[in-house]
Amino acid sequence: MQKCGIIVVKGIVQGVGFRPFVYSLAEKYNISGSVQNLGSEVRVVACGDNFDSFLSEIGKGTPLSKIDSVDVLDYSGAAVSGFYIDKSSSGTLSGFIPADVSICDDCIDDIRDKNGRYFSYWATSCVNCGPRYSIILDVPYDRERTTMDEFPLCAGCRKEYEDPLSRRHHAQTIACRNCGPGLFLYDRSGNPVECTDPLEKAAEFLDAGHIMAIRGIGGFHIACTESSASCLKERLGRTEQALAIMAGRMSFIDSVAYVSDEEREILRGPEHPVVVLVKRERDSLCEVSNLDTIGIMLPYSGLHHLLFDNLKAPFLIMTSANSPGNPMITEYETALLKLRSSVDYFLTHNRVIKNRCDDSVVRDGYIIRMSRGYAPKRTSADLGGRCILAVGPELNSNITVYKGGFCYTSPHVGNVRNPSTLDYLKETVHKMTAITGAEYDIIAHDMHPQFLSTRYAKELSDISGAQLIPVQHHRAHIAAVCTKPCVGIAIDGVGLGDDGTVWGGEVFAGCVPELERVGHLETVDMPGGDLATRFPERMLYGILPDDLTAGILAGRGMSELELNVLDRQVKAGINVAKTSSTGRVLDAASALLGICREKTYDGEPAMKLEASASAGTPAKWEREFKTESGCRVFQTSSLLRRARAEYLSGTDVSDIAASFQYNLAAGIAEIAVESAGILGYDKVAVSGGVAYNKMIRETVINIIRSHDLIPVLNRDFPLGDGCISYGQAVYAGKMKG
Amino acid sequence: MKINMMHGAGGAVFGELLGETLTKYKNNNAGGIGLESLDDGAVIPIDGKNIVLTTDSHVVRPLFFPGGDIGRIAVCGTANDLAMMGGKPLALTCSMIIEEGFDIEILERIVQSMDSALEEAGASIVTGDTKVLAKGEIDGIAINTAGIGIAEKPVRDSALKPGDIIIVSGTLGDHGLAIMTSREGFDFGEQIRSDVAPVWNLVNAAMQAGEVHAMKDPTRGGFSNAINEMAEKSGVQVRISEESLPIRRSVRSASELLGINPLDVANEGKVVMGVAPEDAEAILAAIKKDKYGKDAAIVGRVVEGKSVIMETGIGGERFIEPPVGDPVPRVC
Ligand SMILES: [Fe+3]
Ligand SMILES: [Mg+2]
Ligand SMILES: [Zn+2]
Ligand SMILES: [Zn+2]
Repeated sequence: MQKCGIIVVKGIVQGVGFRPFVYSLAEKYNISGSVQNLGSEVRVVACGDNFDSFLSEIGKGTPLSKIDSVDVLDYSGAAVSGFYIDKSSSGTLSGFIPADVSICDDCIDDIRDKNGRYFSYWATSCVNCGPRYSIILDVPYDRERTTMDEFPLCAGCRKEYEDPLSRRHHAQTIACRNCGPGLFLYDRSGNPVECTDPLEKAAEFLDAGHIMAIRGIGGFHIACTESSASCLKERLGRTEQALAIMAGRMSFIDSVAYVSDEEREILRGPEHPVVVLVKRERDSLCEVSNLDTIGIMLPYSGLHHLLFDNLKAPFLIMTSANSPGNPMITEYETALLKLRSSVDYFLTHNRVIKNRCDDSVVRDGYIIRMSRGYAPKRTSADLGGRCILAVGPELNSNITVYKGGFCYTSPHVGNVRNPSTLDYLKETVHKMTAITGAEYDIIAHDMHPQFLSTRYAKELSDISGAQLIPVQHHRAHIAAVCTKPCVGIAIDGVGLGDDGTVWGGEVFAGCVPELERVGHLETVDMPGGDLATRFPERMLYGILPDDLTAGILAGRGMSELELNVLDRQVKAGINVAKTSSTGRVLDAASALLGICREKTYDGEPAMKLEASASAGTPAKWEREFKTESGCRVFQTSSLLRRARAEYLSGTDVSDIAASFQYNLAAGIAEIAVESAGILGYDKVAVSGGVAYNKMIRETVINIIRSHDLIPVLNRDFPLGDGCISYGQAVYAGKMKG
Repeated sequence: MKINMMHGAGGAVFGELLGETLTKYKNNNAGGIGLESLDDGAVIPIDGKNIVLTTDSHVVRPLFFPGGDIGRIAVCGTANDLAMMGGKPLALTCSMIIEEGFDIEILERIVQSMDSALEEAGASIVTGDTKVLAKGEIDGIAINTAGIGIAEKPVRDSALKPGDIIIVSGTLGDHGLAIMTSREGFDFGEQIRSDVAPVWNLVNAAMQAGEVHAMKDPTRGGFSNAINEMAEKSGVQVRISEESLPIRRSVRSASELLGINPLDVANEGKVVMGVAPEDAEAILAAIKKDKYGKDAAIVGRVVEGKSVIMETGIGGERFIEPPVGDPVPRVC
């Protein structure tokens, strides 16, 4: 009893081997008909006795596909014999493009198979793995719309590409040594290095201590072995910041760090991010990371695997190649120009990186940087019929497009505060607009009038007439986590608040977009504005401006002139901002304890405080609250005063650090719990960059749980500002039009 | 909505007030350049001559500060706005609003100071008005001056052309930091003096030496505000080289200690000009000969595009943005 129908599969079905998958199922179930890729959906015309089994297997999808719906329409066309794959044509674009995927185990076997076609070939991939977003020019995802179009298939590749039973059937990135992109090794002047195998030679140079720029999937890394770590840091002018490493084997990672089962899975998952792990020995690998943690990833492309096959060193330092605050370099010519004073050699290839993609970073299962593997990210969201662009905040930015029931969030863009990153933001908006086919009704942006992203939003709205919706930074944090009635804790750096002060330790209550500020950290002085972020001792003096603090600062080498000016500045209120930021209070504690005097990279004072606290034992301190304009306010100055008393009486610095973090977290959690009790909410949302701090996060979660409330954190988006564009989109979408 | 202090700070917030309220006159032009241009002054052609007209009110605290006083500012502010239009200052009016109980001796010192500034500027105060308000209705004294000048060739702030060279006539940030230092009693070790001075002679020398396309005095909102206004009105991009900006060491260290950008604070005796590239060296040399132009420097160039970009020493770039009034921290 033959049955016919048109099966419409919607979701991420492009570039994930969906058509070959359908083809082999048709073969298995003896189905005749055809399969066609329409951009957002795959249409299968199917006739056969086993139609139902065929249909149910299609619903399972391939490893990389995400199926939103499977519908069956009547088929009234002529009967077909056999089964064939139609050429792609574009349709509506709700399906979107999958992110880049690390090389799969089958392909790793292929590059190690001495007798195979792919032996030792760096760009080996198949339908289940390889680059996607980084090489796509346009949708639908087909070879002629990727940067692989420059490499016509050789006969061998063509045969596999066309063979419906091959793992590389319609694999758009298929390539081999004969026809695909090649590898090249240059010295720092751009002269080719004579060698038979660039990978072998590159490994030799690295083992000899040379520093090398390596072009990978989404951009350039700068790499070297442990022995050259300090030299690299010196050359990059980043002497304090921890660098990530790539380890050849899992066994090496186990030998230097504690790895949970979850973390092991993340390390090996299709995304292959950098995972921040706790070191086994606090003082090991300190040239790489002076913290108690270290960021490690496994090789994620053929290139990396082959490099490690040739390398003697167990790991390489792998840091993205960019000057501070600028986007990662993707082109060899730029690398040669900008990196010649930092590196000795360049290992590059000739496959164009169309869309930059940094390495993603994950800690304790929470995404710190959402990029390669995780983004572009598609999220189902019910935000109505209007189309939204959310341009993000200023730091750790990305963008989100909402259209027809889905949010599409771009990979990490970075700190949008200079011309090159602004250009990258604009490029990302254009790219995401093109691949989603969006036409915006609303543009959501941060409330800060001077953010370049805010100005850009205004420019766009002037041109298109789209409605501008400013979204307060910390409400965006909460909107990214929970859209049900809840209490929301945003523990963060800084963001402009409704009242013109700088927020960052906030408790809200309500339901997006009605989030009322019900509590916050004490509003304290931030002498010199952003200067107080760079020099945390200024924050300390802003909170405790008295002789005791002055004495401590003088003892550390702050000049009398500087102290007098600082004191005058605080007293006169000249260029003194007011802030309730959690990050700035942690900075002040870090300064008090002599842990960090100057911030040389984002989050440094608080990260070093956390590292110190990891060796300490927290004690419960008395916590003071007051009520101010209807808000519960946690007195952080009294907490800092207690910490100072402990410090001056000689208490162990690690113990003070631990106690400070613990009590800060407990105080803000107590405000949230109290509000939830009053309002009868059962959920407490937690967001903000400070929540990456394990002790603070766990303290907050434990207190929430101990009151029979449900902590809600978002594991799909960063806790930090990488969730802001998504939160802005959600917030704007929930507003009544 | 009510006026707040940000509205008076000369940044973007003031810009909104200006655009949406203060310039809503239908009658805004007497022929030539009028209010619609929001330039330093107006130009009114009469019988083939270009009369330049401008006005300014002054309420500086303290009244006397290192390098100047309210009287000197009251004269220089208006005379310099005339000069910025290419006009030689001729005559000023002076209207004073004085608080009951104000010391006449202080008033005498102010008048003296105004007179010596007039001497330097080559102009005269030819008419005036005085009002006295009851105690508490005004803080001490406010002085308004209006002035007329005559321009052979009016110069606008909106005529930068790609290729032009940007010159500043001296060090930046002195006045703003001098006022802040003396008002708030900061001790930076080294005294910072205001630069308040009439600049007509310097401007005249520059215009004689070559082609000056656009001029503006970087008063409220500082260099950042002036250069952005010039770039935006002209529809061009300006690229500034950070290393070439003349900033006094004392001003730099004070601004570093306070977290204030010296480019965002007021100057009272400086000119920013865009000049034809072939004349740039000659104009710079002419300016440097003037008493108030010794530290003049070429600081940038004009290209096609938009916005103002600072090229930093290490090959980086960042935007120079007009200040919003009081600075709001942005670091997360
Ligand atoms: Fe944030
Ligand atoms: Mg002016
Ligand atoms: Zn594969
Ligand atoms: Zn081939």
